[in-house]
Amino acid sequence: MTLFEAIILTIITASTPLLIAALGELVVERAGVLNLGVEGMMIIGAAAGIAAAITTGSSTLGVLVAVLAGMALSLVFAALVLGLAANQVAAGLALAILGLGLSGVIGAPFVGVQRAGIGKIEIPLLSDIPFLGPLLFRQDPFVYASVALVIGVWWFLTKSRAGLVLRAVGENHAAAHALGYPVRRIRLLAILFGGGCAGLAGAYMSLVYTPFWTSGMTGGRGWIALAIVVFASWLPFRAMVGAYLFGALTILQLHAQSAGVPLPSQFLAALPYLITILVLVLIMRARRGGAAGPASLGVPFVPDR
Amino acid sequence: MNITRRHLMAGAAGLAGTALAGQQAGAQSRLSVGVVLIGPVGDFGWSHMHDQGRRRMTEVLGDRVNATTVESVAPPDFDRVVTQLVRTGHRLIFTTSFSYFAPTQRLAPQHPGVFFENATGPTTLPNMAIYNARFYEGRYIQGVIAARKSRSKTIGYVATFPVPEVISAINTVMRGAWSVDPSMKVRVVWVNAWSNPAREADAARALIDQGCDVLCSHTDGPAPLQLAEQRGIFGFGQASDMTRFAPRAHLTSSVNNWGDYYAERAKAVLDGTWRPTDTWGGLGSGMFRMAPFTNMTPEEVSEATRIRDAIAAGTLHPFDGPITRQDGTVVIPAGRRLTDNEIRAQNYFYQGIDVAMP
Repeated sequence: MTLFEAIILTIITASTPLLIAALGELVVERAGVLNLGVEGMMIIGAAAGIAAAITTGSSTLGVLVAVLAGMALSLVFAALVLGLAANQVAAGLALAILGLGLSGVIGAPFVGVQRAGIGKIEIPLLSDIPFLGPLLFRQDPFVYASVALVIGVWWFLTKSRAGLVLRAVGENHAAAHALGYPVRRIRLLAILFGGGCAGLAGAYMSLVYTPFWTSGMTGGRGWIALAIVVFASWLPFRAMVGAYLFGALTILQLHAQSAGVPLPSQFLAALPYLITILVLVLIMRARRGGAAGPASLGVPFVPDR
Repeated sequence: MNITRRHLMAGAAGLAGTALAGQQAGAQSRLSVGVVLIGPVGDFGWSHMHDQGRRRMTEVLGDRVNATTVESVAPPDFDRVVTQLVRTGHRLIFTTSFSYFAPTQRLAPQHPGVFFENATGPTTLPNMAIYNARFYEGRYIQGVIAARKSRSKTIGYVATFPVPEVISAINTVMRGAWSVDPSMKVRVVWVNAWSNPAREADAARALIDQGCDVLCSHTDGPAPLQLAEQRGIFGFGQASDMTRFAPRAHLTSSVNNWGDYYAERAKAVLDGTWRPTDTWGGLGSGMFRMAPFTNMTPEEVSEATRIRDAIAAGTLHPFDGPITRQDGTVVIPAGRRLTDNEIRAQNYFYQGIDVAMP
């Protein structure tokens, strides 16, 4: 394997958790809800995932429990912002902090427990294609799942009737409500999907990426996922581009250091965020100052009686 | 007693009422010791080993001490935590991070009846001692082993922050490596964190992909070592014995051992012989030890053992001159040895280390 192939392979691994978490949040935001608690749901997924995997000895169960844990935490958020119409920004930030604290409690008995990670799946024949084969068809299951998710979310949002309703709820919840759509139920499902995705991304961290538990192990990836959604201007395929760009910059920065390239690593580390701000500005300009995201994003909805 | 900061804050009144009453009953014979930790007890590294030290101290001294551990104390919370410990009758307090040095120095004069001990700080006060371990001794041994094990002649170093402690560790690894093979090279990646497992793993991947086949790491967790295991190369553990994380890749770990020191200091307070000392212990005094050498040939083990024992006995010193900086300036000529203060102040790479200072 050449250095180039090795770097691409690492970039794919580094980008996958970002992509999964970002896709979940993208759907949530498309429904008009801003959930800033991705980091909290992600780390709860990481803790619950490895706890379940160690206890039961099954990685599959670990992944399942991680997804459920992410959903359970997102349910708390849903109760606050949908049930009580609480401020979404405050509730989301609270969720992130709650998740970080709670994950420490869940993970405490599993500190220092060694466990083999989830291996790669080779797709027969296709994985033998030179160069592309090992890169695209010799990956762990999460990578395949992330690509399937991109296509699935894209299809759902643009091709399905349910996706159209979800977008309508996100653009103008009053109008959707007037048309008789159950705004809060749709948002609840979107929030649960976002929580499940964040939990799945967390499982990737603790079961594949670094297969052990330590508190705070997601290291801010949930926040990066939020930036990717903005970078992607709420479009699934652009989210994929964004996730891979963010992943690539993280990895290339480390390679540049190791190879002794005289570029300040701090600058490279800050680059994704600078690009996100730039993209946001460009979107605003293109829309002549109009709203960049879904019009009802972050606005609490209280149905009139 | 093992409580968190939140409990300590929230239950201050309760603590004063119940736990303290019990302590004061036997206050004359029993010493309350506080241990303030920068990370969680479960970090499997730095803070974990300090808590192990606390445990060892209570084992040695039994009924004569009781100890309170407060974990994950961020520097802004430090004053409140320590004041609370003082109020609840703790007379010996270990503040186990360099980040606590300045605040400990500020608080110590306000509580003259309390003895403070700060890990890795530079100066003492009448009621404040400092202590640290000569971890560089272990780094030298790592360098020797790495040079024997490496085929690509390139060591990978997952570094944290460009502070003297880390820079001097990289220097020492290379001193050890060059003693075996002067053509050894090192590649360094700074992850700018003490603990960020995923970034540590990414850094390890980058180093391995660029041809490093023995990994040293300065971060708290086992992530780089696990990567070494996955990729079939070698690595070293940090702070605690990490053999079980990488049964085929692990060569040795530096294992911190604060317990004997804690027991000795608590005993000194009980006996009334406590002095504000500056302790910098090493392999010789048992402040840390090397985990059993694994995945090495008998010859390699006997060489590593010989060097370990020579350093412990003081017959081999990693900082004997001549030492030259990267840019060619001579630090000390042949025949001289870096003083302790010079060792602590290394903010330059040695000549031969082909790495730019960030």
